[in-house]
Amino acid sequence: MRVAVTGTPGTGKTTATDRLTTDLEVCHLNEVIKDEGFSTGVDEDRGSLVADLDALAEWLSDREDVLFESHLAHHFDADRVVVLRAHPDTVVERLRERGDDDAKAYENAESEALDVVLSEAVEEHGVESVYEVDTTERDPDAVAAEIEAVVAGEREPSAGTVSYIDWL
Amino acid sequence: MSEETEDIWGIAHVHASFNNTIITITDQTGAETLAKSSGGTVVKQNRDEASPYAAMQMAEVVAEKALDRGVEGVHVRVRGPGGNLQTSPGPGAQATIRALARAGLEIGRIEDVTPTPHDGTRAPKNSGF
Ligand SMILES: Nc1ncnc2c1ncn2[C@@H]1O[C@H](COP(=O)(O)OP(=O)(O)O)[C@@H](O)[C@H]1O
Ligand SMILES: [Mg+2]
Repeated sequence: MRVAVTGTPGTGKTTATDRLTTDLEVCHLNEVIKDEGFSTGVDEDRGSLVADLDALAEWLSDREDVLFESHLAHHFDADRVVVLRAHPDTVVERLRERGDDDAKAYENAESEALDVVLSEAVEEHGVESVYEVDTTERDPDAVAAEIEAVVAGEREPSAGTVSYIDWL
Repeated sequence: MSEETEDIWGIAHVHASFNNTIITITDQTGAETLAKSSGGTVVKQNRDEASPYAAMQMAEVVAEKALDRGVEGVHVRVRGPGGNLQTSPGPGAQATIRALARAGLEIGRIEDVTPTPHDGTRAPKNSGF
């Protein structure tokens, strides 16, 4: 089984997946991109590497029982796709606390308000494979438990259960 | 208010989320809102709010308000992928733009200013579209 855990930066993917109890191999794709040099260029404005999605897909292709985590995770083949959500104010708060600058915090918050990652996940995998989890005011262990429930087949698919567009 | 020739053009901001679309028409600086509508005000049912049909109805309402305030044409800034509209600007956005035009507004530049989620890495532009 292949499980993707995606969501806007700041929704708590890395934190929650570090606390999972699971037999699946857990991969943090942001680290893989940096360690393996899977990039095609640099986005100077954002201080970000432009990910080489083909190289990453190839790297993932021989892994079967795997849970991979990244805001890019929904771009890869998966049986189930968990989309973590958080209110845009919460995204800003968490990213600032983590030490990110305001420009990065706000562009990610705006992405979250416009459901950018959710829309892409549904477009690429279909509503029947997407599991949306709101992490606003929930602690990382509760979020980890939700992911475990998805892996165990104890949750129904869901999308569009939150709306943050009024934040804009 | 500046010269009349500048005031007759505005900016139509189209915000398209998974469940909803909001259309706002402002002056050229973005400071003054001339007309505003959202999917929720036209179609109450959740998932339908992002539909091209709802977006077209809204576009008609805002276009009328903007025309009443003397706006003759708009530049369009589309932000957000919207529920079923991954191609940028997607079918909902295109339906919106056509509806603005049909209601009598001239259409100028169309820009896609959708934000990019990023965290030391980002996807290539238009990946998966
Ligand atoms: N459920 C949560 N509640 C409160 N703070 C959280 C939660 N999950 C993560 N955080 C904090 O928010 C910041 C971003 O979390 P992180 O796991 O790095 O997010 P992501 O990997 O999705 O970008 C970190 O500082 C983390 O400690
Ligand atoms: Mg992370």
